[in-house]
Amino acid sequence: MDYIIHLLILICIYLILAQSFNLIFGLGGLFNLAHVAVYAIGAYTTAILATEYNFGFYACLIFSALLAGLLALMIGEISLRLSHDYFAIGSLAFSAVVSALLINWKSLTRGVLGIPGIPRPELFNLDFNNIRNFLWLAALVALFSQAALYVIFRSSYARSLRAQAEFELAALALNRDTRLIKVFSFFIASCFAGVAGSLFAYYLNYIDPSSFSLGEMVSILTIVVVGRPGSFAGVMISTLILTAVLPEGLRFMKIDASILGPMRQMLHAVILFIVVYWNRARLFPVERVV
Amino acid sequence: MDIIPQLLVNSLIAGSIYAIAGSGLSMTYGLLRILNFAHGHFMMVGAYFFYLTSVEQGLNYPAAGAFTALAMLVVAVLSLKIFIMPFRRYSTMLPFVTTLALSAILEALVSIVFGVNVKSLGSGLGMTSYEFLGVFITPIQLIIIVSSLVLMTVLAFVVHATSVGRYIRALAENSYAAESLSISQMKVSFWIFTIASLFAAFAGILAGFETNMQPTMGNAYTIKAFAAMILGGLGNIWGTIAGGYILGLLENLSIGLDFWGYSLPAGYKDAFAFVIIVVVLLFKPQGLFNRASRQA
Repeated sequence: MDYIIHLLILICIYLILAQSFNLIFGLGGLFNLAHVAVYAIGAYTTAILATEYNFGFYACLIFSALLAGLLALMIGEISLRLSHDYFAIGSLAFSAVVSALLINWKSLTRGVLGIPGIPRPELFNLDFNNIRNFLWLAALVALFSQAALYVIFRSSYARSLRAQAEFELAALALNRDTRLIKVFSFFIASCFAGVAGSLFAYYLNYIDPSSFSLGEMVSILTIVVVGRPGSFAGVMISTLILTAVLPEGLRFMKIDASILGPMRQMLHAVILFIVVYWNRARLFPVERVV
Repeated sequence: MDIIPQLLVNSLIAGSIYAIAGSGLSMTYGLLRILNFAHGHFMMVGAYFFYLTSVEQGLNYPAAGAFTALAMLVVAVLSLKIFIMPFRRYSTMLPFVTTLALSAILEALVSIVFGVNVKSLGSGLGMTSYEFLGVFITPIQLIIIVSSLVLMTVLAFVVHATSVGRYIRALAENSYAAESLSISQMKVSFWIFTIASLFAAFAGILAGFETNMQPTMGNAYTIKAFAAMILGGLGNIWGTIAGGYILGLLENLSIGLDFWGYSLPAGYKDAFAFVIIVVVLLFKPQGLFNRASRQA
């Protein structure tokens, strides 16, 4: 039973993470490889504030979201001026800077040792060390995030975002400030990634840089591509399938624990490739050249 | 400051590896207009093939090298046919996604087969280092520097003095015009991608001798090759080679020199390449050496 609750909590975290990536990548068409880096910043912000400074749950959550969002604004300012190819490289470089900092800034992050002993939040007189109670909290945060993102996905703003992805010149001609639109999507999505990071840190009680590798980025990309980029419901369903059903399948096959991690990574990548192959003609709007 | 000559030699060694890796990436971009996110993973796979044959099977270096080259040929052809070619004509975003998937698959496969622990090619070439004018250099480091110079010379000859090179330059400059003159982009791209992969494998083997190898080394080298290419300008082969040496120099100077009594810890050496990418993208996104390209 505990294992099912564990999976449900993971689903809550990945729902926030994948859906926010869906906003940038699915609607905005921006291949942002720094999403996991921003998620890491959220997790580390919570870990450091909660262990060193005894900040409460709300403060940690808000600071994680804001710091992640601010850093995303910084990357956004730099890299959103660039075209697709350069943007992908720039965001990859940014994520590499973040992981180098996580490993090397030992006085703040303890390097590869990671930060242990992150206390579970204390709220409503409930004992969140009980994993069942924590699930309610995670579900509440996930529900709120999904609702907020759903409102954004249905708004006219989302249509502008999609329009600039398909045909930037046309969006400009219709008096849309495409750069502002892109930077805003970056900010919002990264705030939610920060929230997901905060939940992740609270849930695991321990974080280290290995949780925020490029492999993790591939997993999120897989979830969004399988759910169809830009589709809110699709990404929700694929999050359920890929975070819950797939690891169960691997467990069922009784794979040796030492190769479980690489096996999961490979499975994600293979699924990603197959889905991209099937949908290659309609996955991304062909850029129109004028 | 007698540390400077040693720093310069170290820069040359690191720069040689980046130049070989970066030139392959740049050739691929110049012809196919795709960013190969798996380029560093080709280095890693090449190094592991060499490890498999020379350390585990105990073959001598030429035989191991020949086997690695053959195996890389297969990897390159499969990668091109399966992961790149079916997607090119739909969107430039698709090859990003598929090569990223390819890189994850390669990393996972190597982790499963060889384990995630650090491996070393060892130094059958001898650990004794020569001292020359106060600079220490090991035989493998000499090989790295010389072989990169040889490779660059061969590349320069092929690109600038043969008909294949003329096709390559024509396609890179304007693929529509070149194809209308009956130069097959498919055929030339195929050769270029294969050569780029072999270059990557060679750089990976050199890196495996010089430092050590791990399944996760691919990402770092991909980003460094990108950094070299960003410095030199996307698709500009000679700019990228220069960018590789500049990257090696900047990296080593950043940790070797102290700036007003403060020097960067060695752990930040890798991070430096990433910062360079961001800075160059910010101020000179077309690269240091790029000329304006002609568009159809």
